[in-house]
Amino acid sequence: MSEQDCAGTGKATRQGLLGAGTPMCAGCGGLQALHQIYDLVGDKTVFVNAAGCMTLLSIYPFTPFPGSWLYTAMACAPAGAQGVRDALDVLLAKGRIQPEQDQLPVVLTGDGSAYGMGLSATSAAIDRGLDFLYICYDNEGYGNTGHQYSAATPAGARTATSRVDGYAGIKKDLFAIWSAHRPAYVATAIGTEPADLARKLKKALSLSGPRLLLVLAPCPTGWGFEPARMVELGKLAVKTGIWPLKEYSDGQVRHTQVPARRKPVTDYLQLQGRFRHLFAPVRDTDKLTALQRQVDDYWEHID
Amino acid sequence: MRKLLTGNKAAAWGARLAEVDYLPVFPITPQTEIIETLAEWVDRGELDARLTTLESEHSMVTAAGAAAATGVRVFTATSSQGLLYAMEMLYNVAGWRVPLVLVNVSRGLSAPITLEPDHNDVLAARDSGFLQLHCATCQEVLDSVLLAYRLAEDKRVRLPVLVNLDGFYLSFTREPVILPSREQVRAFLPAFDAGSNRFRGGEPVSQAVAVLGGGPYSYFRYQTHLAAVEAGEVFDELSEAFSNHFDRGFKAIEDYRCEDAEILFVMIGSFATKAREAVDRLRDAGQKVGLLRPRLLRPFPAREFVRLLSGRAGVAVIDQNLSTGLGGILYTELAAALYPVPRRPILASFIGGLGGRDITAGEFYAMAEQVRQAVETGQAPPPRLLFTDQEMQTVRGLQRIAGSEEGES
Amino acid sequence: MYRIRFHGRGGQGIKTASRILGTALFIEGFEVQDAPRYGAERRGAPIFAYVRADTIPIQERGVIHRPDLVVVADETLLAITPAQVLEGITAATVVLIYSGHPESWWREQFPHVGRIIVLSPIAEHPGGIPAGAFCAGAAAALLGEVSEEALTQAVEEELAAHDPELVLSNKQAVMTAYAAVANYHGQVQSGPPLTVNETQPPAWIDMSRDAVDIAAPVIHAGTTSCLVKTGLWRTRRPVIDKEKCRRCLQCCAWCPEGGIRVGEDGFPVIDYEHCKGCLVCAAQCPFKAIKVIPESQAKEEQDAQAADRK
Repeated sequence: MSEQDCAGTGKATRQGLLGAGTPMCAGCGGLQALHQIYDLVGDKTVFVNAAGCMTLLSIYPFTPFPGSWLYTAMACAPAGAQGVRDALDVLLAKGRIQPEQDQLPVVLTGDGSAYGMGLSATSAAIDRGLDFLYICYDNEGYGNTGHQYSAATPAGARTATSRVDGYAGIKKDLFAIWSAHRPAYVATAIGTEPADLARKLKKALSLSGPRLLLVLAPCPTGWGFEPARMVELGKLAVKTGIWPLKEYSDGQVRHTQVPARRKPVTDYLQLQGRFRHLFAPVRDTDKLTALQRQVDDYWEHID
Repeated sequence: MRKLLTGNKAAAWGARLAEVDYLPVFPITPQTEIIETLAEWVDRGELDARLTTLESEHSMVTAAGAAAATGVRVFTATSSQGLLYAMEMLYNVAGWRVPLVLVNVSRGLSAPITLEPDHNDVLAARDSGFLQLHCATCQEVLDSVLLAYRLAEDKRVRLPVLVNLDGFYLSFTREPVILPSREQVRAFLPAFDAGSNRFRGGEPVSQAVAVLGGGPYSYFRYQTHLAAVEAGEVFDELSEAFSNHFDRGFKAIEDYRCEDAEILFVMIGSFATKAREAVDRLRDAGQKVGLLRPRLLRPFPAREFVRLLSGRAGVAVIDQNLSTGLGGILYTELAAALYPVPRRPILASFIGGLGGRDITAGEFYAMAEQVRQAVETGQAPPPRLLFTDQEMQTVRGLQRIAGSEEGES
Repeated sequence: MYRIRFHGRGGQGIKTASRILGTALFIEGFEVQDAPRYGAERRGAPIFAYVRADTIPIQERGVIHRPDLVVVADETLLAITPAQVLEGITAATVVLIYSGHPESWWREQFPHVGRIIVLSPIAEHPGGIPAGAFCAGAAAALLGEVSEEALTQAVEEELAAHDPELVLSNKQAVMTAYAAVANYHGQVQSGPPLTVNETQPPAWIDMSRDAVDIAAPVIHAGTTSCLVKTGLWRTRRPVIDKEKCRRCLQCCAWCPEGGIRVGEDGFPVIDYEHCKGCLVCAAQCPFKAIKVIPESQAKEEQDAQAADRK
């Protein structure tokens, strides 16, 4: 996308479509990915948002979107997308709008909604074969409320509701849950692997039906790292094998990047405040070994 | 054409005659017949609308609001628990200022579970921003749906409207209903106009965005209130237009035999036809008794109530609902409306018809008699639950089987 | 009643500072109320918190409009109008600024007939102590109502959930600041209650119904967020060194704000109006062509350049 004028400033200030000036945290990995995503999906979209950090992208009268937006509630963004899609279909069928006025509904939620409260609405939207794109920015906790654990929180991570020993559960496999519905497309991605993300998004946009993109969003505030290290963290998530990049289509799961020699998970964990208790005051070797083993087990049968 | 229709069928006919575009639905007793009927018409090509079954009422109302925000005419329906499950989105959709019609078939709320009606479900939504119309007959169900679209879509209003009918007593009860022709309805209800708040490629619109601070929030919330208040004036215009067009009255408050009435019943819903019958019999007996039945409950027609009740002797407010810890909701609202009136009547509060419990003719006569005595003594009686000794014996019998012993209280 | 307002940025421990002071005053037997003010803003954005303390139960609530003490933990905020750091100050208000500039310099920056007290950055302090902690210590001294013991106990209580090392270093920082302004012990005067007569009557209006096109929370335009200058969040700024830059444009790709564009000459250009100072660009630059300088230094350089041009 070429340079464009930012509303009001009267001068070209950035490269992408999405406007600056949002209240997302400095160094937000979700926002970094969203910029890339928006440049590809474009402004003939209605972003349907559920409660989460990105609810605050639009605060009256400010919006970063050159296209449209609808805030619903935490549980029901896919249902909002259903209403928009159905209404546009009716309008097209009845000749009340022209094809060039059509829009793509894009659901935008955090992991709190995607893995939890909104999962029923997501599942049902896939059942119905809704023609939409679902973007989840997964920062592995209820980030907007101060980072309490969610179903997306990884084992051992400290959160505002697991302050002592870290989260006792394991990260829910949303990719598998989504894939089990046999939608048109499911992919994991991360903003720090832009080529992989762009390829997957283009593929998703070339298809119709339910298309889901699960984007890991390194979160300086919730994970406890300096904002400047956001990209480094994101790359390590992939290189350690903690965040497998993969896609599902036509009934097949395919890994799009298989790290040739995976870095030890400690490279990733030790940079984050949420895992500091595993390293100091004493190194929790048992737990670290277990976390490494989980990753090794995952990759064992993957070429 | 006049034919026998259940209240549910009448609601479906209302949607069909309004030529709705979109039907987000979810089944729940006793509403389900509405969506089954509509689904069949859509399948047979008799109704050019899209029907989508959502996975919950919460999602259903979300899809309804989103579609209305995109610019189509939307109809949906629910009952009871479903309305409560959708409650978060009722407030949202009203705040979006989008017009749609939601039919609620009243049913008592859990716990305990029941299938029969009372009005706590619909009254739980009274502060949501949805306007409310309450029906007493199957004819009124159809008429209300048509009028609700005019009201919701009026530029001065632009709020969703809830049309309420009682489960069983209307939903599954057939009555003769005059079905207007499509042309007749078209002449009354113009084609849907989305206005400027709609989603179209090339026209950026951000709907339902957050605000920071109490100032903007106060503004937007109060604007919704002002639109609802305005809806009262608009309703009066529309009811006149409706009467002229369809030759049937549709005033905000039905006043039945009230001209010289000294004692009046006030109630909503289908049980009010029982009150009409009681009024006739009491009139036969020489008593000056009448009935006031608000069709419009939001906005609350306070000014009209004041006009109709000033100078009367006494009122029996019959609430088919219970605000636990307070009492009847209509009673409370009416008392507030009448407080500034110098020549206000004595108000007596009755709770009756909970969970579909019948209200007998004898009970209406007794309520009128209690109010008459209250007028004489100048003392309003304490609130009364309509519940008899025999009903208590029945409950005791059930409790014995359930193994419940009468314990200390 | 003492009315104290703390101004800083998200991440500088402003909420904790207000709590330390609140707890210290509570320990000293005061009735206390303390609260942070949350908005949509995140780390780096201007925020504030406030403390009230009185010998009788406190009825006031919400934002302090007439402070007896304004604590500025981040001096860059004074130049930022929306931060409203100086809102409601009177001649009786003491302004405490955590700054390397002397009082005389600050006197030229903004009009204030009342007292300005500067808390100089403490050289020997261990790294990683948020500015808020220092300011809490200094504020406690300025009130003259908080003993060293109470202050120490307050830090321990407020940081109880943290590592002992962190508690210790914060305690030292708080006490260092307490001592640093010892000359001004008790300078802040307890403010009087607002009387009926000095209150302006509200200019209430009868709101009328607006057309629904404007009366719903709907935005009929795109990318208006660019009007929000999130550059104000920044305390350090990335600066591109054109000598070293090879125009690989990785910085453009990594910027989470989409705030680095490509200039006509092919070099990246940073949008300082919106750059939040996350410094991802500097960390990721393969050629180390992006240096990081404090925002205060950037301002001075700009001022110097402007002076040169004149």
